[in-house]
Amino acid sequence: MKLKQLIISLFFALFALTSMVQATEHEASAPEQQETTEHKPYVSKSISELASSWWSTTGISAIVDVHDGETTSDPRGHKFEREMTWFESSLGRIIMIIIVFILFYLAIAKNFEPLLLIPIAFGGLLANIPLAGMGGEHGMLGIIYNMGIANEFFPLLIFMGVGAMTDFAPLLANPKTAMLGGAAQFGIFGSLVGAVLIGFDLQTASAVSIIGGADGPTSIFIANRLAPEMLGVIAVAAYSYMALVPVIQPPIMRALTTKAERQIVMKTTRQVHRLEKLIFPIVVLMLTLLLLPESSPLIGAFAFGNFAKESGVVDRLSDTMQNSLINVITIFLGLGVGSKLAADKFLVLETMGIMVIGLLAFSAGTAMGVLMAKLMNKFSDEPINPLIGAAGVSAVPMSARVVSKVGSEEKPGNVLLMHAMGPNVAGVIGSAVAAGVLLSIFK
Amino acid sequence: MAEVNYVMEALKFMVLGMGVVFLFLFILVKVVELQAKLIAKYFPENTPIKAPATPAVDTEDENRRVAAIIAAVTEFRNNKS
Repeated sequence: MKLKQLIISLFFALFALTSMVQATEHEASAPEQQETTEHKPYVSKSISELASSWWSTTGISAIVDVHDGETTSDPRGHKFEREMTWFESSLGRIIMIIIVFILFYLAIAKNFEPLLLIPIAFGGLLANIPLAGMGGEHGMLGIIYNMGIANEFFPLLIFMGVGAMTDFAPLLANPKTAMLGGAAQFGIFGSLVGAVLIGFDLQTASAVSIIGGADGPTSIFIANRLAPEMLGVIAVAAYSYMALVPVIQPPIMRALTTKAERQIVMKTTRQVHRLEKLIFPIVVLMLTLLLLPESSPLIGAFAFGNFAKESGVVDRLSDTMQNSLINVITIFLGLGVGSKLAADKFLVLETMGIMVIGLLAFSAGTAMGVLMAKLMNKFSDEPINPLIGAAGVSAVPMSARVVSKVGSEEKPGNVLLMHAMGPNVAGVIGSAVAAGVLLSIFK
Repeated sequence: MAEVNYVMEALKFMVLGMGVVFLFLFILVKVVELQAKLIAKYFPENTPIKAPATPAVDTEDENRRVAAIIAAVTEFRNNKS
């Protein structure tokens, strides 16, 4: 018995010894450079050292001590990052955080486009956190940005959802009103001239003036192609003016029309055949194919969404596009755009110019739509209420709702909503076409 | 090289842009009108897309029926209690 135990323990000892020898041999043969991946040898720190190293990583210190060599964050990677100026790392951040809270207020208390403003503003809040590098290549916002904004993917998915939500029946019932959606695109090209006058170069001016189309996704799409460094401001301007449709449009509409014109009652629209609705997205796509392939990403996504809806056999897909998908993308798009609200990107001189040009573009578009509608009313045998011209900007369906509201204020019971939806959806197509023209110029 | 007048360039962009937008929408309008005519001609029976046969009840009849139902329900409840 004793012998057996001895043998076993001896065996174990031998085994342990050999494996140890093997291990040491391994260690000896292992290359020396492994050390670089290992942690630094830990040196004992006094409690005051620990406290001060913690202090240097706090946001307070980053804001107060402006010469800490903190860099800006850029989703394209470290190569594009630079050291922050004193303004960006201190006062700028505070200003931006205040702006973010104003956006929260507008979204929550005033109900201005909350679906967009909440994610954008929250993204802006995150982007202004010192030292966290949220907008950097490996930060949360930076990852989102690279995933779908830098490559223009999210705007297209939004367009798909908008296509699946849009009913073209009002446009098909009264096709002439589509021309109003064209007139409103004057906002884009008129403000292009304005932007050049105040000193933007042509390419940037084109990117800025697309705000006049009042179309968030298109603005992002174009800004990305023509002036990526302006993307944040342009997107924020586009979405904030879209949110301000009920404030900006009515005064312009009232100023350009007489009371009698505003009270015009339009004929009820005819019933539209199902086939017409089904063929329409294909017709639009074919026209794009022939005249303006540059616009096909936008119009293609839009037409696909609409076709899936009108086909009537893929309700599951169209339901996903107009609900779940567009909601998911709205979250990502908002946060990604919000990352451009970082002080170092937003608080630049051009921002003021862009905000002014954007407002100008938007007003000019509305005005031109109304004037065109007045003209059409003069020459048309059917009465056309000039108010519906204002819906030519592509803020669907806000501006159609605004038109309807103003119309029913002038004459209770006069419902213009369906009539205004025609120019409104034509405006979406119009601004996508205008975007294609601008892209084709700078190709 | 001659100095490029950017404002003139922008104006040219405007002419081109508005031209293309209107051309596009104009053709679209014409095609849609043609399409509406063709469809009305060749597929006329489907033209009025009715909601799947909503029973044609005139409101008065409907009101009477609702009244009868309400009366019956109140009667039933009163009996129960």
